[in-house]
Amino acid sequence: MTHALRISELRKTFGQQQVLDGVGFEVPQGSIMGLLGPNGAGKSTLIRSIMGIVEPDSGTIELNGTLWSRDAVRGIGYLPEERGLYRDMKVGEQAIYFARLKGMERADAVRELKVWFERLEVDGWWDKKVSDISKGMAQKIQFICTLVHKPELLILDEPLSGFDPINARRIIEEVRSLAASGTSILLSTHDMPSVERLCDAVVLIDRGQVVLSGGADELRETGWAGEQEVVFRGNDIAFTNALGALAHLDGIQSDSVEGTRKASIRLRNREQPGDVLHALAEAVDIVEFVKVRPTMESLFIQAVSGTSSTETTP
Amino acid sequence: MKGSLVGAVIGREWRTRVFKKSFLLGTLLMPFLGVGFIALTVMLTEGTETQNLVLVEDTPGLITRMDAASGQFVPRCPGCFPERDKLEYRFTREAPADSVWKLDGYTALVEFDESVLQNKAGYLVYETSPGMQAKRRIERDLSHAMEHARVLESTELDWTEYQRLKFELNLVDREASDAGSRTEGGGEEIRGFVGFMFSAVLFLVLAVYGGLILRSVVEEKSNRVVEVLIASVRPEELLLGKVVGMGAVALTQIVAWSVLSTAAFTLFQFVFDSGLMPGNMAPGAGEVPADLLTVMAENEFTKILIEINWALMVFSTVVYFVGGYLLYGSLYAVVGASVQSEQEGQGMVFPLIMPLMFAYFFGLQAIENPEMAAFSWLSWFPLTSPVIMLIRVAVGVPMWELALSVALLLLTARFMLWMAGRAYRHGVLAGDSTSGWKLLLQWVRGNGG
Repeated sequence: MTHALRISELRKTFGQQQVLDGVGFEVPQGSIMGLLGPNGAGKSTLIRSIMGIVEPDSGTIELNGTLWSRDAVRGIGYLPEERGLYRDMKVGEQAIYFARLKGMERADAVRELKVWFERLEVDGWWDKKVSDISKGMAQKIQFICTLVHKPELLILDEPLSGFDPINARRIIEEVRSLAASGTSILLSTHDMPSVERLCDAVVLIDRGQVVLSGGADELRETGWAGEQEVVFRGNDIAFTNALGALAHLDGIQSDSVEGTRKASIRLRNREQPGDVLHALAEAVDIVEFVKVRPTMESLFIQAVSGTSSTETTP
Repeated sequence: MKGSLVGAVIGREWRTRVFKKSFLLGTLLMPFLGVGFIALTVMLTEGTETQNLVLVEDTPGLITRMDAASGQFVPRCPGCFPERDKLEYRFTREAPADSVWKLDGYTALVEFDESVLQNKAGYLVYETSPGMQAKRRIERDLSHAMEHARVLESTELDWTEYQRLKFELNLVDREASDAGSRTEGGGEEIRGFVGFMFSAVLFLVLAVYGGLILRSVVEEKSNRVVEVLIASVRPEELLLGKVVGMGAVALTQIVAWSVLSTAAFTLFQFVFDSGLMPGNMAPGAGEVPADLLTVMAENEFTKILIEINWALMVFSTVVYFVGGYLLYGSLYAVVGASVQSEQEGQGMVFPLIMPLMFAYFFGLQAIENPEMAAFSWLSWFPLTSPVIMLIRVAVGVPMWELALSVALLLLTARFMLWMAGRAYRHGVLAGDSTSGWKLLLQWVRGNGG
């Protein structure tokens, strides 16, 4: 399978500091890959290496199955975290300029930009100066400039920063739509809910090394430590006795409306949830028996600092 | 390098600056303001030149005699005091007190005694200065009259005979070639001065528009556009586009100023010639071109100017503008990439343009002695050649030296562009805490991007 992006053994040192230490992962075509990591993990250096802004000391970068080249990089749509626009230029002229730097002809650029401006409802701002528009509007225009040349690979670094919730949702929809139409996306963000909603796979780097990578579902499944949520009707003591040595009880809450009880348990043997359900069903009336997989945030924290937290997801 | 990308950068730099209101206003108004300023100066000078009535106190009776008919002292040499606009003389042997001659309407008093013929000095006494021009005229007229007195006192020649015998040698330059032939020479100073004028303009353009490059680079860092830019375009391409674009802005302004200044001057001349302005001192309509042609045909100065190889001069100016601009533009860009603000950059620019300033002042001195060895060396050295070589081209320079100088300049400019590109990329990655010389030093040591 050809990958939109394949990175192998990438290393980079600034002075005495090893910023990238053998980083390697792949972004399959048409997928959204989350690039996660704490501040200073080396994400920006990694992205800048892909974009040719930083020259790695060693390692290889392949784009669409061919080795890195400046021409291939020009085909990438890149939205950096540190981004801006020329304040004294008109919005439309500026967008055309960025499109031309990506190799588009002026007429093609104008045509494509008009479509995107209308789609993201900024078409009324074409002739305004950047200094006259809001920050959110400027963010939308930067987003359009990133993808107007129809890149096969998009690298988005904190794409939702500066957006209100409504516009953030709009951008998420656009990103999903781009991925659905075959665009591969590398999404670097600290916004875990957007990772949950968007990413097919994630790669987590810390101190210049990949500490976790894989499909989002696969990682959450792998990271599941036997947490279950049980909604039941019956006696708490009978419930606890039925758990016995099969699971550890973290707590029980009452639901006053439904008259049910909700317990959080952790299986001693995560391979045998059926045994626990069977034992409990003999003691109390089971309403729900739900697997609680870890969130991306908890996986992130666990991988980086060794702690974990969970949250119910069906 | 991708031409279309560089072209896009050039286009942006040119358009955003040339279509700015401030640029359009400055470009359109400056020539008219300049010519208007000259016109105003002429009008004010003409309108305010005072009428001078000068009393000459000839105590020893060297230059005056008593005219029996009028009962007044008159010059022994009437031709020495020609009729002049707004300047009249009266003569006396003994002037009254200052308060009295001033009351009598005199604006100045000239005093001298017997020793004037030896020490060649006297006094010009006034309440309000008659002005530099009037003073020079008084000195010239009285010197002429003194010379007349000396001739009559110490020789048996009459004044007319003396004038005929008076001799001033004029040496005409001839250059002896190795082949034994002689060619017309001389005029180096005039030609050198013309070359220097070209150099001075180039110096100004390099300094002013280099500053714009610095500002542009700092702007792209501060508005955070730069990371998107260098992800699409090589830093070298970006800088080349920036330098060429800014150079095109400079050329646009220079061409516009030249055309508009000519138009403004023609308009001013028309208004002046038609007598619409007060104090009209221009000749009548139609006389100027005729006079100009005559002057050009007969005047030695013009003859020397015509002898300059203008085609080579213009070509060299363009080449040194391009080379010099690439070189110094790159230096400005390096500074821009290494600082966080334009103000910080201005402090770092001065040492970088020192060679250019040195060349400018050295060029001024070298006009008088264009054959000195240092002049040749500096005309080859890329940091000084854009200013120095233009003077040599005007005076006359062997083609191999010109070719060497241009080649060195263009190679150095290409290298500097590459270096500036690397510095630019490195500057983007530097945090706010690292800038200026510290950042450049880090970069030279090879730390970072």
